[in-house]
Amino acid sequence: MRSGAAVASLLDEALAGLWRARRMTAVSVLQIGFSLFLVGLFLLAAENLGGVVDALREETAVTVFLRPGADEAAQADLERRALDSKLVAAVRRVSPEEARRRFARSFASLAGATGTLSSNPFPSSVELDLLPGAASSAALRPFLANLAAFPAVEEVQFDVDWVRRLRGVVRLVAATGAATGFCLALGAAFTIANVVRLTILLHRDEIDILRLVGAPEILIRGPFLLGGVLQGLLGGLLALGLLGLAFRGVLMFITATENVLLGVFVVRFLSPATCGLLVLGGVLAGLVGGTIASRRHHV
Amino acid sequence: MIEFYGVSKEYHGRRVLKNLSFQVAQGEFVFLTGPSGAGKTTVLKLLYRAETPGAGQILVNGRNVVSMPPSRIPELRRTMGIVFQDYKLLPTRTVFENVSFVLKFLGVPLAERRRRAYQVLRLVELHHRVNAFPEELSGGEQQRVALARALVNEPELLVADEPTGNLDHRLAQEMMRLFSQINVRGTTVLVATHDVALIRETGRRCLTLDRGGVLEGLVEAALPPQAAWRREGSSAHPVVPEERP
Ligand SMILES: Nc1ncnc2c1ncn2[C@@H]1O[C@H](COP(=O)(O)OP(=O)(O)OP(=O)(O)O)[C@@H](O)[C@H]1O
Ligand SMILES: [Mg+2]
Repeated sequence: MRSGAAVASLLDEALAGLWRARRMTAVSVLQIGFSLFLVGLFLLAAENLGGVVDALREETAVTVFLRPGADEAAQADLERRALDSKLVAAVRRVSPEEARRRFARSFASLAGATGTLSSNPFPSSVELDLLPGAASSAALRPFLANLAAFPAVEEVQFDVDWVRRLRGVVRLVAATGAATGFCLALGAAFTIANVVRLTILLHRDEIDILRLVGAPEILIRGPFLLGGVLQGLLGGLLALGLLGLAFRGVLMFITATENVLLGVFVVRFLSPATCGLLVLGGVLAGLVGGTIASRRHHV
Repeated sequence: MIEFYGVSKEYHGRRVLKNLSFQVAQGEFVFLTGPSGAGKTTVLKLLYRAETPGAGQILVNGRNVVSMPPSRIPELRRTMGIVFQDYKLLPTRTVFENVSFVLKFLGVPLAERRRRAYQVLRLVELHHRVNAFPEELSGGEQQRVALARALVNEPELLVADEPTGNLDHRLAQEMMRLFSQINVRGTTVLVATHDVALIRETGRRCLTLDRGGVLEGLVEAALPPQAAWRREGSSAHPVVPEERP
């Protein structure tokens, strides 16, 4: 019961301290919030790109997109050539309707957007399932070039290739996010340290008197450390709030403009684990800043 | 309760206390007197380890204060109630908060803090000013708040530095009655003051600081207050040989 009351008084003192330096506190919370918000944007991009990659990975096949109006004979010719190449196990025609259905299934949150489109943006295509080992065969590249030269063919896409490239982009985004996040978090910790130091200065007399009357050392310094942690926590929550708003904004923009391409990348919010990590980052920054500022020779 | 053995203290090479020895037993009520600058406050600071001596040993309640590790100092101070010469009240906190914040930091729940703060404020007759801020109080009232704060944690030892410095004579006498009451309950009391008239009236044991050493005895009733310590200091039994650094 006594320790409960002690914790309550710690929290009470910490909040009072933050309130006394409320302008500085607001500035530091905003800074942490904004830093973590930027980190969150990177994470959001990385998670969504990663999601796209995962959705596409299952379909590592060659997709041959046909020009609008390609006739039946040309398609049949294409399919025969493919099967004769000894690289392809099966061919499958994908109509524009099928393509739209698949898209709606993969990106459920955007199903509404595609449903409202006046014309179907997806071309018809032929998917070629490769034989085992064909993807790494030397004969694959000339074969694909050959297919691309067909008059009825708009474009040949070999998924493995661009999936690999996309994966690289995802890694880059995540790494950039992590590096930027680390620097920003360091800056935020520095700001918190300064705010905590200021609150300590404001409480100088109090600290001296508390020492003289024998208040335990952790209870003297605890509120300042806790103040730093609270600032970090508030910053983390602020960042989450901002991210949520930004996410909704983009989603609304996509629905309003029927921008399907952008829609592929922003389809879901950060996972709860990532949200937790973001807030934890704020708390850690607060802990580091608070600890630096409330070391014994400062207080 | 308090034991000083051959304690010396210098500030920047200037000697304030020299080979000072005295004892105060548990439950005693003792005055510490001497002219301004004699080192009364210094003796008290040594007691609660706000200063360390250059030489000698100090025991409080059997605990060696000089060799005590810093981590044990808060515990030492919590066994004492200290009334500072300059009160050291928090200007941004009310009377109630000033008296009770130590308890708050010790994790005492609010209801009990209220009860105990009210009790001690009643004792010093300031229970009607709980919500006032220190600057709204007279010097004497602030002094009484400081005393209330010193008493709120029920200390074994009450140490007061010029607790009557801002009180008129009647209030000072009342304050001494209060100290006697507290003393009767078993708390050891050490009061530093140069109010010799008060010491005379109270009739308690008196330690006189003179030229770094300490002289024992009651202040002579016949002496005028201002001269009392001088006569005493230059009397026939100096504890310390006269010597200046
Ligand atoms: N922190 C310090 N640094 C340097 N000198 C000090 C310090 N504290 C006290 N002194 C000196 O030590 C001497 C004793 O001071 P102290 O405060 O103990 O006297 P006092 O007996 O309490 O005087 P008063 O009756 O005026 O309160 C004084 O000459 C003072 O100038
Ligand atoms: Mg003094």
